[in-house]
Amino acid sequence: MTRQQLVYLYCVADREPELKETEGLADDLYFVCNNGLYAVASKVEEEEFGQEGLKRNMADFEWVKAKASAHERIIDLVMADTDVIPFKFGTLFNTNDSLKAMLEQYGEEFKAILRKLAHKQEWGLKIYCNSEKLKTSFSNDEAEILKIENEIKSSSVGKSYFLKKKKDELIEKTLNERINECGQESFELLKELSFEAHINRLLPREVTEREDDMVLNSAFLVDKDEVGDFQNMVDTLKMHYEGKGFLIDCTGPWPPYNFCGLSSEKGQNE
Amino acid sequence: MNSVVVKSKEVTLLEILDRVLDKGVVISGDMVISVADVDLIYLGLKVLLSSVETMEKLRGSPFISPMQEAK
Repeated sequence: MTRQQLVYLYCVADREPELKETEGLADDLYFVCNNGLYAVASKVEEEEFGQEGLKRNMADFEWVKAKASAHERIIDLVMADTDVIPFKFGTLFNTNDSLKAMLEQYGEEFKAILRKLAHKQEWGLKIYCNSEKLKTSFSNDEAEILKIENEIKSSSVGKSYFLKKKKDELIEKTLNERINECGQESFELLKELSFEAHINRLLPREVTEREDDMVLNSAFLVDKDEVGDFQNMVDTLKMHYEGKGFLIDCTGPWPPYNFCGLSSEKGQNE
Repeated sequence: MNSVVVKSKEVTLLEILDRVLDKGVVISGDMVISVADVDLIYLGLKVLLSSVETMEKLRGSPFISPMQEAK
């Protein structure tokens, strides 16, 4: 055997994970155990994931998409039976020994994170807004906007130009207010039902592949017993906001990607 | 007690960018490639992500952070 292999780390658990079929997502999964922690890994080719290979492959969108979604699906399989700390895509080690050394070094922190994550799930909530639809939905019931509209009808050309401008400004202002209300109310109500909540950066249309704009990107760490209530609240929000230009997209359960920061890196993330 | 939980999740490109490539534990140490290097290698992805910041600026951050607003 001349081909070099590397160790790719997916996640860390504090119970021995049942390693099922990976459905061709990766070579055989195995775990490395140290002091009560289990690191789930698989062997990958140096040619593909080594410094040169990774540099080349990260520029290949299809490769990234396939490998990153395999990464996610594998953690999903492990997560079915135990709490996990998901690692970022592309966490690689030279040998099982170096992976084990990492487990030793961060052992106490990982255990503390796993204690926090026990019996909880990550859920994601993204809200999108179709500005034109939202404008239509409030333009007919905003008293101030209707008032200006009436004034425009009975005004001279010069004055109506000025009034139209004022109306447009008012519509923009109301639009931003409504977007804020929807985002803030949704986030606050769901946060109440969560152990922890995060707001993430908004993603542009190139990434969302949608026509409308993302106006809220958030993640929640929810106790498994509260997930039913959490979903009911999402349904309530949908009933209230959808049809008015908003779309509420709730996904999960995810591995707790957003809730497993090491204390040593906290400064960088916040 | 636990009501039936509906699992609704598709591993879309959006979720890959938002979670798998952006979040999760980052450690350095005896790794072949440090994740910081991987960040630099994103190339195409990097372009997308930097346009995120641009978009937030353009939109005038309509939704900064309720946590900040709430003080």
